[in-house]
Amino acid sequence: MNAGSDDAGLLERIRRGDTDGAAELFERYAPALLRFTDRMLSDRASAEEVTQEVFLKVISRAHQYDGRAGVASWLFAIAANACRDRRRRERRAAVVPLESVAEPRARTEGVESVIASRERRAAVRQALSELSEEQREALVLARYHGMPYAEIAKTLGISVGAVKTRIFRAVETLKARFSEGESSWTAAT
Amino acid sequence: MDCRDLTTLGIERLTGEASEASRRELDAHVDACESCRRDLERLEELWTTLGRDPEPEVTPEFRRRTLGLLEEEMIRGRVKAFRPTPTFRRPLLQAAALVAAAGVGYLLARGLPGRDSASPAASPSWPVAAVTPTAPGAAGVPGLAGNPRLANVSYRPADKDGRVAIGFDVTTRREVEGKPNDPEVAKLLAYLVAHNSESAGEKSRAIEVVSEHYGTNAAPASPEIVAALTSTLRADGNPGVRKKAADTLASFQSTPEIRAAFLQALKSDKNPAVRLAAIDALAAAARQSPDASTIESLKEKAVDPQENGFVRAKAASALKAMSF
Repeated sequence: MNAGSDDAGLLERIRRGDTDGAAELFERYAPALLRFTDRMLSDRASAEEVTQEVFLKVISRAHQYDGRAGVASWLFAIAANACRDRRRRERRAAVVPLESVAEPRARTEGVESVIASRERRAAVRQALSELSEEQREALVLARYHGMPYAEIAKTLGISVGAVKTRIFRAVETLKARFSEGESSWTAAT
Repeated sequence: MDCRDLTTLGIERLTGEASEASRRELDAHVDACESCRRDLERLEELWTTLGRDPEPEVTPEFRRRTLGLLEEEMIRGRVKAFRPTPTFRRPLLQAAALVAAAGVGYLLARGLPGRDSASPAASPSWPVAAVTPTAPGAAGVPGLAGNPRLANVSYRPADKDGRVAIGFDVTTRREVEGKPNDPEVAKLLAYLVAHNSESAGEKSRAIEVVSEHYGTNAAPASPEIVAALTSTLRADGNPGVRKKAADTLASFQSTPEIRAAFLQALKSDKNPAVRLAAIDALAAAARQSPDASTIESLKEKAVDPQENGFVRAKAASALKAMSF
């Protein structure tokens, strides 16, 4: 995650119009950004579109990078904002016929039925998608990207205390989510 | 610590945020507290399970599409950076024109030839207009057959009557005023695009003026203007200028001449941004009036392995939009 001055050098090349610099930045960060957007949006096609948006924004805003945060934090901050924008647009655009709205899952359905009917991946994704956007951002950056709290704080523009709180609440929600079907959950893992 | 701190300290340990003292404290507590030991195990299990979520991978197709987009965006950026910013330069040009005019005045005082003759092509030197600017109508346009150099060109936006003015120095300062559809104004603009520009900036500015005043939503472009732009698209050495010519031609009603220029640009222009502009223009024209050579060229581009990925994708998408 800390490519440091190399990353800053890449941005400088992009500022100068070096196409190879943009390609190198893509090779370096596309896998991580795609993982992040995929987990934030739970949809591969949307994740790819948003990841492309992130790189296009980086090209047009390379001159705005001020070096206060690491390049990685800056990229993830752009990605987090892009994901929020995408979800906001989708919420606005979503006009769902009343009859097609699923009933809330009964408490008794629990994790057992989820695991019984879906792959483990789907169960994890389902659980993540039930977290609030703020909790998911913090948890995904900590768990899947190994970001220290201080870097997550810079990326999301919040305090370290707020990062801790969001991750704590996310974990509590997940624990509660899986508490009923503990044996099945364990078996699935 | 007490049992209420278990989750917080457990998470800090899992995320690598816990201090050594905090780790020791947590270990000591769970050694002595059966309930917290079980809770910590569940927490670690949850953490491990989350980590088993397969990582989505960058597919070759996604890489190809995105790198094509990035290349396109970088090219756009370079074209933007090239564009001249004439507004702040205009006072400098005007000042230069004044200096030139003073010099011309001196020459006039020494008795150089007077007003434009009937056969300007026959005369190697420029006829001199005594009065500037001209009266209403697009009078004052010098003979252009001898490829005279018009210096310090300036443009005045359309006034309330839609009249534009083009000022320039030949041997003295002149200003030609008229509506864009006045033949003489169109002829002068075509000349400025095709022959008179010594720099890419000058040429770009002339094309911008053409773009502002001609097109489907403005005055129809004269044959001279179309010819000036198509020759620029075909042969100008500067990709930014060619792109600007392409964008301007794209705003005109398509003609066989314009289509042929775009087909050539698509086939052989070295700059992908120009080829992309050609695809857009050809596809738009083909939607109005399908054309076999356009469709054939787009098909070739869509599968050309040597072509830029974004150009290929654009050609394919244009064909798809035309149901090919």
